[in-house]
Amino acid sequence: MKISYNWLNELVPTHLDIDEFCEKLTMFGLEVEEVVQLGKNLENIVIGKVVSVEKHPNADKLSLCKVDVGNSEPLSIICGAPNVVKDILVPVAMIGAKLGDFEIKKAKLRGVESFGMICSENELGVSDEHSGIMIIKQDIEPGTPFADAMGINDNIIEVDVTPNRPDLLGMIGVAREVAVMLNTEYEHPEITFEESEVKTKDEISVIIEDSEKCPRYCARMVHGITVKPSPSWMQRKLIASGLRPINNIVDVTNYVLLEYGQPLHAFDYTKIKDKTIAVRTAKDKEKMMLLDDTELKLHSDNLLITDAEHPLALAGIMGGLDSSINDNTKDVIIECAYFDPRNIRASALEYGLQTDSSYRFERGMDPNSLIEVIDRAAQLMQLTGGGEISSGVVDCYPHKIEPKVLPLRVSRANSILNAKMSADEVENYLNKFEFATKKTSEDTFEVTIPTFRPDIEREIDIIEELARCYGYNNVESYFWINRIDNKQKRTVARLAKNHLISLGFFEVNNMSFASPDDLDALNISDDDFRRKVVELANPIGEQFSTMRSTLIPDLLKNTALNLSYKFENFKLFELNRIYLKEREDTFAEPTYLTGVIVGEFYPFYWKEEQRATSFYDVKGVVESILSKIHCTKNITYKVSNQPYYEKNSKADIFLDEKKIGSCGIIKDDVLKSFEIKAPVLLFDIDLSRIIPLYNEKDIRFKEIVKYPPVLRDIAVIAPSDIEVGTIEKLIKSVGPNIIKDVQLFDVYTGKQIKQGCRSLAFNITFQSETSTLTDKYVDKLFDNIVNKLLREHQIELRQE
Amino acid sequence: MKEQIQEILEEARRSIPSCESDKDIEELRIKYLGKKSSLSDLMSKIGTVPKEERPQMGALLNKAKKEIAQLIEQKKVVLHEKEDTSRARGLDVTMPGRPLTIGAKHPLYQIWEEIEDIFINLGFEVAEGPEIESEYYNFDALNTPSWHPARNPQDTFYLKEGKLLRTQTSPMQIRVMEKFKPPIKIISTGRCYRVDKMDPSHLPVFHQVEALLVDEGVTMSDLKGALDSFVKRIFSADTLSRFRPHFFPFTEPSAEIDILCINCNGKGCKLCKNSGWLEMGGAGMVDPAVLEEVGYDSEKYTGYAFGLGIERIAMLRYGISDIRKLVTNDLRILMQFQ
Repeated sequence: MKISYNWLNELVPTHLDIDEFCEKLTMFGLEVEEVVQLGKNLENIVIGKVVSVEKHPNADKLSLCKVDVGNSEPLSIICGAPNVVKDILVPVAMIGAKLGDFEIKKAKLRGVESFGMICSENELGVSDEHSGIMIIKQDIEPGTPFADAMGINDNIIEVDVTPNRPDLLGMIGVAREVAVMLNTEYEHPEITFEESEVKTKDEISVIIEDSEKCPRYCARMVHGITVKPSPSWMQRKLIASGLRPINNIVDVTNYVLLEYGQPLHAFDYTKIKDKTIAVRTAKDKEKMMLLDDTELKLHSDNLLITDAEHPLALAGIMGGLDSSINDNTKDVIIECAYFDPRNIRASALEYGLQTDSSYRFERGMDPNSLIEVIDRAAQLMQLTGGGEISSGVVDCYPHKIEPKVLPLRVSRANSILNAKMSADEVENYLNKFEFATKKTSEDTFEVTIPTFRPDIEREIDIIEELARCYGYNNVESYFWINRIDNKQKRTVARLAKNHLISLGFFEVNNMSFASPDDLDALNISDDDFRRKVVELANPIGEQFSTMRSTLIPDLLKNTALNLSYKFENFKLFELNRIYLKEREDTFAEPTYLTGVIVGEFYPFYWKEEQRATSFYDVKGVVESILSKIHCTKNITYKVSNQPYYEKNSKADIFLDEKKIGSCGIIKDDVLKSFEIKAPVLLFDIDLSRIIPLYNEKDIRFKEIVKYPPVLRDIAVIAPSDIEVGTIEKLIKSVGPNIIKDVQLFDVYTGKQIKQGCRSLAFNITFQSETSTLTDKYVDKLFDNIVNKLLREHQIELRQE
Repeated sequence: MKEQIQEILEEARRSIPSCESDKDIEELRIKYLGKKSSLSDLMSKIGTVPKEERPQMGALLNKAKKEIAQLIEQKKVVLHEKEDTSRARGLDVTMPGRPLTIGAKHPLYQIWEEIEDIFINLGFEVAEGPEIESEYYNFDALNTPSWHPARNPQDTFYLKEGKLLRTQTSPMQIRVMEKFKPPIKIISTGRCYRVDKMDPSHLPVFHQVEALLVDEGVTMSDLKGALDSFVKRIFSADTLSRFRPHFFPFTEPSAEIDILCINCNGKGCKLCKNSGWLEMGGAGMVDPAVLEEVGYDSEKYTGYAFGLGIERIAMLRYGISDIRKLVTNDLRILMQFQ
């Protein structure tokens, strides 16, 4: 539905600028899809009067026109349109005007200068018409800006009307809704006219044969009307609403359609045989010629408007050619009817005829407003074309459709909306919607639903209307999720656990108590944070006298137990809290993830030699856990000084330079204290420090780089005390945006390698995100790497 | 001619099944069905047969050809099957594949996660709180009278500094209600402590899940509904539950929750000590005094709370009769829960 904001303001002054109004309208349930500002692109386009037309001396199809645009001298303009003649009013695009991207300039056409352009409707965006120039049929002073003359300084609001609201398919319905929204009043058009002596019922009779398909049919007569262009105010509104003015009779039916939403039809009285209108279903294979020159073959489900013999119209969808209005029409029958929506829908669908009329009838019109509408149409026909209106309406309405009466409980509305509307407030809202109310108790109303609102069928439908008035934004929100929920911790814990289980780890569950001796068995020094133990005042035994400050002893005890059951190779982990005394009366309960790998990392496999387990196995586990929980950035590993690891097999894990854990091979004497006779690898991570960093939403898709990577290997001889991590970092630093990956793939020490050095080989991936890398460029980077390694660490390229 | 056809057919029937290789079978195919085969030869001589016998002879010839072709195809299939087994010599599909061992979550934590998920699906949030608690949150704010035996050091672990180890997850209710306005819909889960000797049904360290819902218009029906939904999901759709009047300081009315024994269906057995019912935990409508303590209007808001032991649920679900099995961490047990 296209709503002219100017027109709307005539019916209900909004006192709002267009943006504010549209926002309110959308929030009230009439969703604004688009606002088109008419006249915006019509600067420098004025009304001109063609004062003379001559043939172009050098071109047959061009005319040389003099056009009066309100200045002292008429402009010379060359025009190619066939319909340009002397004394017509036309839109003229002056020099400087812009039509789309095209700017009008002084031009020379076949040797003759032209100072502007006479435009078609299509060029001005008024309609699709482009077969000739636009001819303005009103009397307008030359020089008047086109936009003003046509009333196109307007905003057209395109509203998505939901299918349940046929009442919003007319301006009056929209005005009513807006009046409710703004708590104001709107104006109905004033309908007054004089009727002649002649009685309509003597001139025409109406018979409804199928009152189910057509419950009501009204007709009126206007005699002696002159067919001519309609007045400019009417044309303006039609154009603004997307309809093209044709002549006053057709325009009036369209205008009233726009105004009330109710489709009308006008017949030429002289073509109606026997002064009879019958509403009947078609005979099988009955033929009819429509206004648009298509012939239909009908059947008994199609409803027709006929005269004594022939079909006049396919009811509610399209008129027939024979009875249509033409320039010589003098006497008009106005039809205003109510048809069954289902029948119209079926017929429109069947013949593929979606018209402004069928669109509305399909959704259900108001059967009880027909008299007002038909009177309005008669009034406007007389106003625009003169003539005499016969007295009275022929109204065939065998069974009156009564408005529904529904009960409404204010308390029910309030409880659904969690609102506190008073009965008076509710009544006021309902009356604004033109629902009549009768108070039946403190809490209840009998509400009469006008027939223009077929969508309101139950109490709950009324409550929905009240909700819109109350304002969806004013409904309180009860919000209770995600204030407290420990989702972050839960997610990290579950990810880490599930991952470890896939790697073959079994989860254990130890009680929170510990013996003070446990820390000694791990060689933990007195100044270690784990010595700040929480002591119980009433323990159930000495070995349970403190709260554990590390999960390691319990895991080692679990290890010893299971070794005693003849398990040789196994992996265990625990994810639980430890307890620390921070200050005199404050305690910390961080969550740790601690695990052991006992015996061999890989289970025995008959096909292969058993591979020796090493420090790098446990480091691999740690790396994989951290990457599973998105904690890979800013992680570094440094040699550890934890007292329970073997000398050459231990690392501390750092996150942003803060120690968050360690991993390594457990020392022999520690194993002995726990009576373990198998190698044990251990990792111990403070998960509490990682959990707050976890964000499942930090995974974002990155476009795949379309340029191919280049792979190069580099083998170097490096002093053994230089860490691989250092070398990797150095290589990356040569081209941080191009070197995507550096992977160690070989380590070798032996005869060929000089003492105190080792041979390292890396796989380097080069890739640019903006271009294909040339060999030359990669060679240069490679040389830079070689030079930098040599310069900064005396690392040499290995010579084969 | 009839006899000749019969003869060729007989010979083919003998020779085809006895051949040993693809090569042999191909030779036979050429011999019997090839362009120069005796059958083709007979076919070309069909003109010499008396006119009236010709159709019959033609049919016989075609029939013979068809049968021989079928025999050859069947033999080919048999030969290829043989070949397959011989080619596969060295593969023993019953030998174990590369062992990629998988571990298992501890059964207690499996049940814990399951319980959390049930409540999350019912719209509850999960709250965690400190295990080292103050007397205020563990007892006072929960309307526990000063004389209540649960406060004794024979029942509750105290720290040297005066704090205690929470005896229930209920303190978290208070902490959440202090901080947020209704509606509140949470479960709190975690470790709790009570001074108990370890025996088949007691551990000094155990786990609880406790639900709390506070809003306008919460009734005891909501409580029963929530519990029913829960036990039906964690056990089975036909698990029955009942409420038995009881006393808890922080709920009024209070109840103990029983479920119909899942072992004997109420007939009476060792598990339910012949009562037909299994005790699951405590429940009730939040005592107005508790709501007032956190500054809620106890006329406007009502709520329910219930608490369940996770060990108890795990034992029932898995059929474990000794609670200590849940802390031995014996792989012979853990491996059963893959």
